[in-house]
Amino acid sequence: MVEIPQVIRAFGTTFLNMFKKPITEQYPEEKHLYPPKPRFHGRHQLNRYADGLEKCIGCELCAWACPADAIYVEGEENTDEERFSPGERFGKVYQINYLRCIMCGLCIEACPTRALTMTNEFELADDERGKLIYEKSDLLAPLLPGMAPAPHSMVEGFTDRDYYSGKVTGATPKQIEEAGN
Amino acid sequence: MTTPLVPNLTLHWDDADSHTLTGYQRHGGYSALKKAFTAGADGVIQIVKDSGLRGRGGAGFPTGMKWGFVPQNDGKPHYLVVNADESEPGACKDIPLMIANPHSLVEGVIISSFAIRANHAFIYIRGETPHPIRRVRAAVAAAYQAGLLGKNIQGSGFDLDVVVHSGAGAYICGEETALLDSLEGRRGQPRLKPPFPAVAGLYASPTVINNAETIASVPAIINNGADWYKSYGTEKSPGIKLFAVSGHVKRPGIYEAPLGITMRELITYAGGMKSDLPLKFWIPGGSSVPMLTADHLDIPLTYEDMAAAGTMLGTGTPMVFDTSTSVVKAVIRWIEFYKHESCGKCTPCREGTYWMVDILKRMEKGKAQLSDMDLLVDISAQISGRSFCALGDAAATPFPAALKYFKEEFEEVIKMAGAQA
Amino acid sequence: MTILANSNQPKSNDNDLITAVIDGIAVRVPKGTLAIRAAEMLGIEIPRFCDHPALSPVAACRMCLVEIEGMPKPQPSCAITLTEGMQVKTQNSSQVASSAQEGVMEFLLLNHPLDCPTCDKGGECPLQNQAMSNGRADSRFEGTKRNFQKAININAQVLLDRERCVSCARCTRFADEIAGDPSLELLERGAKQQVGVADDQPFESYYSGNTVQICPVGALTSAAYRFRARPFDLVSSESVCEHCASGCSLRTDSRRGKVLRRLAGDDSEVNEEWNCDKGRFAFRHLMQDRITTPLVREHGELRPASWPEAIRYAAEGLRNQRAAVLAGGRLTLEDAYAYSRFARVALGTNNVDFRNRTASSEEQDFLTNHVAGTGLGVTYQDLEDAQVVVVIGFEPEEESPIIMLRLRKAVRNKTLKVIAIDSANSLGFKKLNADLRLTKPGNESAAISELIKDLQDQNSIILVGERLASSHGAFSATVAVAEKVGARIGWVPRRAGERAAVDAGLLPNLLPAGRKVFEPRDREVVASAWGVSVEHIPTKPGLTQLEIISSAVQGEIDAIVTAGVDINDVANHAAFAAALNKTFVVSLENRASSVIEFADVVLPVGAITERAGTFVDWEGRLRTFDAVMQESLALTDARVLHLIAIELGHTFKDDAKVTSLRSSYSSLGAVSKPGTMNLVAASTTKTGLVLAGWHHLLDNGSLQAGEPHLAATARAVVAKVSSETAQANGLISGNRVIVRSKLGAITLPLEISEVAPETIWLPLNSEGSSVAMQLQIDIGAEVSVSDGGAI
Repeated sequence: MVEIPQVIRAFGTTFLNMFKKPITEQYPEEKHLYPPKPRFHGRHQLNRYADGLEKCIGCELCAWACPADAIYVEGEENTDEERFSPGERFGKVYQINYLRCIMCGLCIEACPTRALTMTNEFELADDERGKLIYEKSDLLAPLLPGMAPAPHSMVEGFTDRDYYSGKVTGATPKQIEEAGN
Repeated sequence: MTTPLVPNLTLHWDDADSHTLTGYQRHGGYSALKKAFTAGADGVIQIVKDSGLRGRGGAGFPTGMKWGFVPQNDGKPHYLVVNADESEPGACKDIPLMIANPHSLVEGVIISSFAIRANHAFIYIRGETPHPIRRVRAAVAAAYQAGLLGKNIQGSGFDLDVVVHSGAGAYICGEETALLDSLEGRRGQPRLKPPFPAVAGLYASPTVINNAETIASVPAIINNGADWYKSYGTEKSPGIKLFAVSGHVKRPGIYEAPLGITMRELITYAGGMKSDLPLKFWIPGGSSVPMLTADHLDIPLTYEDMAAAGTMLGTGTPMVFDTSTSVVKAVIRWIEFYKHESCGKCTPCREGTYWMVDILKRMEKGKAQLSDMDLLVDISAQISGRSFCALGDAAATPFPAALKYFKEEFEEVIKMAGAQA
Repeated sequence: MTILANSNQPKSNDNDLITAVIDGIAVRVPKGTLAIRAAEMLGIEIPRFCDHPALSPVAACRMCLVEIEGMPKPQPSCAITLTEGMQVKTQNSSQVASSAQEGVMEFLLLNHPLDCPTCDKGGECPLQNQAMSNGRADSRFEGTKRNFQKAININAQVLLDRERCVSCARCTRFADEIAGDPSLELLERGAKQQVGVADDQPFESYYSGNTVQICPVGALTSAAYRFRARPFDLVSSESVCEHCASGCSLRTDSRRGKVLRRLAGDDSEVNEEWNCDKGRFAFRHLMQDRITTPLVREHGELRPASWPEAIRYAAEGLRNQRAAVLAGGRLTLEDAYAYSRFARVALGTNNVDFRNRTASSEEQDFLTNHVAGTGLGVTYQDLEDAQVVVVIGFEPEEESPIIMLRLRKAVRNKTLKVIAIDSANSLGFKKLNADLRLTKPGNESAAISELIKDLQDQNSIILVGERLASSHGAFSATVAVAEKVGARIGWVPRRAGERAAVDAGLLPNLLPAGRKVFEPRDREVVASAWGVSVEHIPTKPGLTQLEIISSAVQGEIDAIVTAGVDINDVANHAAFAAALNKTFVVSLENRASSVIEFADVVLPVGAITERAGTFVDWEGRLRTFDAVMQESLALTDARVLHLIAIELGHTFKDDAKVTSLRSSYSSLGAVSKPGTMNLVAASTTKTGLVLAGWHHLLDNGSLQAGEPHLAATARAVVAKVSSETAQANGLISGNRVIVRSKLGAITLPLEISEVAPETIWLPLNSEGSSVAMQLQIDIGAEVSVSDGGAI
């Protein structure tokens, strides 16, 4: 039996691959074709209740849980004049340092109000260290229809417990007016 | 053989003026006082010791022994405090006594104070009952007028001032140390013991606290002698006692009888069962003691026999319930009472009663499960013996006791409610 | 093992020891020891809420139940005193105990809200911790928890959340037993039981912050710390309070270079475990109005400058000038030592005085002979053990609140009698049940001389305050009486740095450690400790603060170095301002002050949290502390002075670092016995209406700046006179009164009170009553009064 020279055998691999479909993903041009998996750990989000009040109570449990010390929180007291969340306390300062974050999701598990969740957004690169410290304004969930931006009062007659059990379904005219002011 | 009734304190209650000084003195009132002064303080203590008189407030502690605990010649003032804060559900003996015969109490106070070398005595009467307060106040005033109180009583050289104090409506103030706090002007909450009141009680001075009936029994004992008193009752529970029979009997009321009388006899004296329904359960002495059933009607009503039957003589004020009663509802009412009256000082009583009522209310509304019975037993066990004072223990009593005899009824109530739902 | 006796345990000798057994381990303890304390000594932790070693037992929470052999029911170990042979079984060895504790914990959590994430106590909560260690894993409670309105104020700075309260009664017992301000009470009963105050009567106490600290749950929280941080992101440092001479040990909690709260430290010899609200809540001054760069004056304006420029500028201004040093009473020992040395060696002068307050030469003589360099003298424990303590010109609660707590402890134990010689009665004197001898300011020495009959054959201590400096002959009379009856004297200044200043020789006649300027031997010792030749220590007598000011006004002083001085603290502040205006002023400060507008160079130094140091408390005890902000680059006064000295061509043996100054000072040793004071006779009795007063603990003091919650708990600002004085001067209670000196007037509401005859009492530096600024007189001066009409 005649041996095929090594060099031709090697080219054979190349030749065969010429007819295979390429698996290269054309990022970023075609990124819409390759969405991350639904449970992918991406950038965090600070959620709101249906009327726009923030869910975060500034309890710092996320920061406590964080193994990378990437989260910094400062709490503050809600007042009748300026209310950001139902109940007594809200998160005044909320920062996540994405240079430190390892996307482990322990903060999400720690959050007692489901204020902190993770989105699928993974494009967390930048050209300056400072820009990778996300502030509360960067992390807050967008206002959906029916929400009025905090600060505004709670829905009349509802307690923080009602908010927690999902009884609030949207902003009332009074809240929208307050938020407008 | 039936045990005869022995009217002693109650003998002249039928007189129109039984509550007045003249009415009392007409039947030899205040004659014991002279005998006491002759016998001397230690002599009185000895007679009371010999008579075997035991505290009628519930615990049954020997009265003479209690008086003997007071340190003598300690340079401190001594106080006698009469506990007439009768608020136990089912108990109604001190209040009628003070209404009908307040001078027996006043005379008892003078003799007892003389014995323990107290120059100040306080009668602490339940605040919700103004009538006995008026009667005792009037009696004390009359006694002052007659020279039976105040300085140098009847030339004996003995001084005594008596203050009648109206409570402010708290069951806990029947607990002796809470009563002292209340008397001192504080919130009525039980005190830590030791020090015991006999050493540091009212205003941190040696204090004797006795039930009103106990003190009122003293004059007769002094008058007739220890042997007379001991001739009634049993060896360990001698003497005569006011039995206030209430509930489903034809003639509820106070029956003065020797200790050792049986419940069957008392029910007979009380005219038998009301509406002639059979007896379902009964309680020997206030809601704080475990219930008994028809099987226990022939047990002598003494401190020892009741303890042997798994309950207590308590205040000796039996409540009788016939078959028209829901034991479940009865237990709920009692425990609600304890929740309402819990002073809040200690955790088991404060929170435990809150929880028990929460479950029992649920049971009443038909939203309980069978497992809640175990939970209630567990909660009772978590309160019993761990609370600060006896109020917690009392609150933990009704449910397990009821369950002992009427488990099926509880199960039925729970199941029936489940079926309705 | 044997438990060492401390102030909370009965004293004992070996004969009083008993042996008990806890969890099978034998323990020898003094008679009367509680089971829970003995267990602690063995390292056995019994869970507890109501138990607190400094409060009387109540056995209310029932969490510490243990099994005791021979007793049918489990017993609260916090209230059971051990007896010989007692067998105690805790949750570690007894099923009865552990199930009892689990049951109690379940009950406690029944009505406790699940708001740990919002609660300030979360993370450092005994309820959380003990629920984990001694509780059930799950709850069997399905009902509705009781509801109260969330946080309510019990005073301006303490908030109460009744839902979280476990009714342990620690706060109410603290108020009653320790502070003596019993307006905090448990109200209602059963599950509705709650801590509360009367509607119109907030919990007015200088010690209210302690209730927050001892609350075992988050029921009591402070307005200042509310929702600010979590324990895990705080750095806790041991520190010492800078507010007064009590010398409290503190715990300072900071995060990212910012102090967030302060707690009382645990020091059984000094503050036990308490402190006052000023020490606890007044810390924003550490961060407020800070000077961040050196400033030099150019064309009449201060402008930022570099350190080398500013140091050079200061040195040039001071070189070969007739200079003086005014270093107020807030310095650490090391800094005061550095000023003392700087004045002598670098400036060649004895013109140095720390007393930015009423002062007298008699006081200086007293300090020189009875205080300077004497080391630890009368102690807190001595106060507790004494039979009689006399306080003269010193209101313990307002002027050194921890002394008040210690005295009250002994008074409550019925072992101590307090005698007070002062101008007016006060809440503090009342709480001490003091035998008050109302004395018109200036007449103290007569009252002091009469003490002999009270103190004869008694273990007695006399505490004199700095106010006594205004009374001629009072220090002399005190020393005379003390010598006659064998009483010991304690000098209690108001500020934290005064004792250190005396010890460091910030007086014209004193060198450090009680060494005297005029003693050649002392000068040699000090010179060798400093590493300079003895000629460098001037022998020319120095000037006091008053003399420095008047000399400067007359142009006899050219330059003044100041530190921690507020010109508004002294009556002659107009002259002080003129003096500063006329001279070259070098000011070492950490925040804006009244001196800065006159300063030619401002050199920023570190706040007390940014450097190490030592305060000397009134006892003479060294209270050494480390920097809270370890990473701070701030300089100490001593280092700044060192740089100027080098610029002026002077060097010392050491590098002026805190540790080297400390060892340099301690190498000087202590004075072995008091010197002989030159006793002076009292001047003639004062006639006419005179001014009396003292500083309220909470007032307009500059270290209390920026604390609105604290300020709201300050006492009412009123003028006080006796009813006789009111009548004699036509004053009407409830109306305003106008108090006039030659230079100004103060108008305040009038209160008829127990005040000495012919005396009107004013708070010295409160809102609307700044005596130094408005009246420009000292206490003891004559004033005139008139009715100011209805309010």
